[in-house]
Amino acid sequence: MEGANGAPGAGAAFREGFRREARFLRSSFWDLALISWIPLLLMAVVAIQLGSGVMRDLPVVVVNEDGGAISRELTRRLDAAPGLRVAARALDIAEAERLVRSRVAYAVLLIPRETERTVLRGQTASLTLFYNASYSTASGAALREVGNVVQAHAARLAADQIAAIEPGKVRPPPIAARTVILFNPQGSYELQLVALLHPALLHLIFMVAVASALGRELRDGTIGVWLGGKPRSEAAAAIAGKTAIYVLIFMGWSILATGYLAGLRGWPVLGSPSMLFIGYLTMYLAYLGVTVLVTGVTLSMGKALSVAGLYAGASFAFAGAIFPIESASAFARLWSALLPYTAFAKLLAEQWMMGSPAAVSWPHVIVLLLFLGVGVAVGLPRYIAAAGTPGVWGRR
Amino acid sequence: MTGRAFLAAFRVILTDSTALTLLIGSAILYSFFYPSAYSGEVPTRIPVAVVDMDHSAASRSLTVKLGALQQAEVVARPASPDQALRWMQDRRASAIVIIPEGFERHILRGEQATVALYGNGAYLLRGSTALAGVGTALGAAGREAATDQAMASGAPAPPALALIQRPLFNTREGYGSTVFPGVTFIIIHQTLLMGLALLAATMRERHGPLAFHPCELLGIALAFFTVGCVNVAYYAGFVFWFQDMPRAAGSFGALAVAGALFVAATVAAALALASFFQTRERPVQLWIITSLPIYFLAGLSWPVEATPDWLALLARLLPTTPGIHLMVGINQMGASLWEQRSELLNLAALVLLYGSIAAARYCGGRTAAKEGRGDRPQTL
Repeated sequence: MEGANGAPGAGAAFREGFRREARFLRSSFWDLALISWIPLLLMAVVAIQLGSGVMRDLPVVVVNEDGGAISRELTRRLDAAPGLRVAARALDIAEAERLVRSRVAYAVLLIPRETERTVLRGQTASLTLFYNASYSTASGAALREVGNVVQAHAARLAADQIAAIEPGKVRPPPIAARTVILFNPQGSYELQLVALLHPALLHLIFMVAVASALGRELRDGTIGVWLGGKPRSEAAAAIAGKTAIYVLIFMGWSILATGYLAGLRGWPVLGSPSMLFIGYLTMYLAYLGVTVLVTGVTLSMGKALSVAGLYAGASFAFAGAIFPIESASAFARLWSALLPYTAFAKLLAEQWMMGSPAAVSWPHVIVLLLFLGVGVAVGLPRYIAAAGTPGVWGRR
Repeated sequence: MTGRAFLAAFRVILTDSTALTLLIGSAILYSFFYPSAYSGEVPTRIPVAVVDMDHSAASRSLTVKLGALQQAEVVARPASPDQALRWMQDRRASAIVIIPEGFERHILRGEQATVALYGNGAYLLRGSTALAGVGTALGAAGREAATDQAMASGAPAPPALALIQRPLFNTREGYGSTVFPGVTFIIIHQTLLMGLALLAATMRERHGPLAFHPCELLGIALAFFTVGCVNVAYYAGFVFWFQDMPRAAGSFGALAVAGALFVAATVAAALALASFFQTRERPVQLWIITSLPIYFLAGLSWPVEATPDWLALLARLLPTTPGIHLMVGINQMGASLWEQRSELLNLAALVLLYGSIAAARYCGGRTAAKEGRGDRPQTL
């Protein structure tokens, strides 16, 4: 190789670094697994689990104290609704609550005594829905479904019965709000969650893989042979080559994950796909910067991995895509801003779901590149310097 | 022998700073760090763009009422729906209200005027509560408009049925109180699993294949069982109180039994898994990347009814799946052990399954240890 003959060249060092890592990956079954079938498996589990997208046949319990025709018809309608299933009819609330605590059902609809008479008198009968707020996703869906069924039933009762008593008095409320969900008209959790979970998994695995690749040279003391005595620019190029292989592979996974949801599952990218992939690329570069920083500071594979886990492990919760981070504490907002995934999640929402113009997302790309710049500026000199100090090698 | 192994295991934990950080440090760190993401439990006012296409007294009065809502803040009054859409695309507005032309005329004629409320589906989960709030508030504002209408055509009929909604157990319904009590047991599970695997892999790196007398294995298991129980007690006893999560709904005895069984299943699984690791750093890699899928598989945030049956069944092999149902069930929902018996049985079965695997791997006679499964060129 040219580099070995003293003919310097950043390009040659880059290629050499790339080949060195490729050789290693071919020889190490588990390190190859970490970037091949393990990401595939984890992404597949998430995609399969959330693949149904909407919740069907959520079990509810009915406590029918009234027992009249209206309540029986309402129970029948609940069972017929696609989102619900009447799992049991309980005699009283205590029994129904026991069923909820045993997770036989997510919600209890109480139809009180006198419901039928109240309705026939032309008044409003109040039904009560108790729902298990500990399981909020399922209960929330059940809540909406029960609400729809009750509303539809009430409308029919109004038409059938009250009209017979006092014609002309049936008038709809003066203002109705029609709610439309833009950008995700089916209200699919598959689009919402899988689109975010795949990059969440990928950036974590990417960071682990790169921290391992850089840390391994320190742990095994091979960094000296590899970078020792090289001019700084060549050493930097060699590191770039070594990590480029991971950026390349994870871009492949990103394309596959996007292709799966957009092509196979029918959730097309409404904005610019190239902007989405620029986002993916800069997100990986941002995490590369952070990893170089962490490895350069800790100079230990184990510690770098632990810090990486702590740093990125909770990014899904802190990204503000699922839970509003804006209302959280100042610390949480700061932490959220320090995670590249936060910027990427915004870009993903804009480019995938909202069909925003590409220009809207450029600020996120710039933020992501800042992570790379700062990380490399601080971490890289320390990492390269470690090549000449055998004292720090082999730390566990 | 058991006692000696018990103490020896503690010595190993205390002398390995990475393991100590994993097993105890991260539990303490996460208990303060993680809930901070959810510290804003009360949904804030969502930014709303209002497009008034009616330009009437009624539409102006509705816009003012919207601005006064607890859930909404009117950030813009764009002239057209297109402009409003741009506000949403830039994420400056989370919802759009469009008051159509003829709004006032409809009301005065005694007909129903429809207001369109657009939510952002790109933020389906976080937006839904606030959006429902705005929808309800619009309806309430409508009832006041009814007085104008009543002058012309008499009061409208009341609806036949009304639905009152009452949350059970997690009555505050915050994001944190829903998610964190589940994540807690993922944290305990992952730190125990990986801390133990890291120590086992380190010992194997130094001393070759591991073999223990059954009593020694029991001693080691009891040491990690103690660490796990301390973690559970710390979270269920202190953190849930400190962070004011819904808690202590069940009896103390039930909680103790459930917590002990969860930790026992986790330690058994950790011992079994650790017997396959040969490299010290490998468990840390797995700890980081598996937590998210394990959390979703547990079925707290995504119901088991919407998960394919075979996957839900496989998820039952993870101690976290029955463990989270059980701990949330008892501590938050106040369930009895009998009501949660299927989770208890699941955990007991896992203790047996992983316990037998661990026993076979470590105590299967010196022969199994010497036969050198660890000599595979590809080591974990």
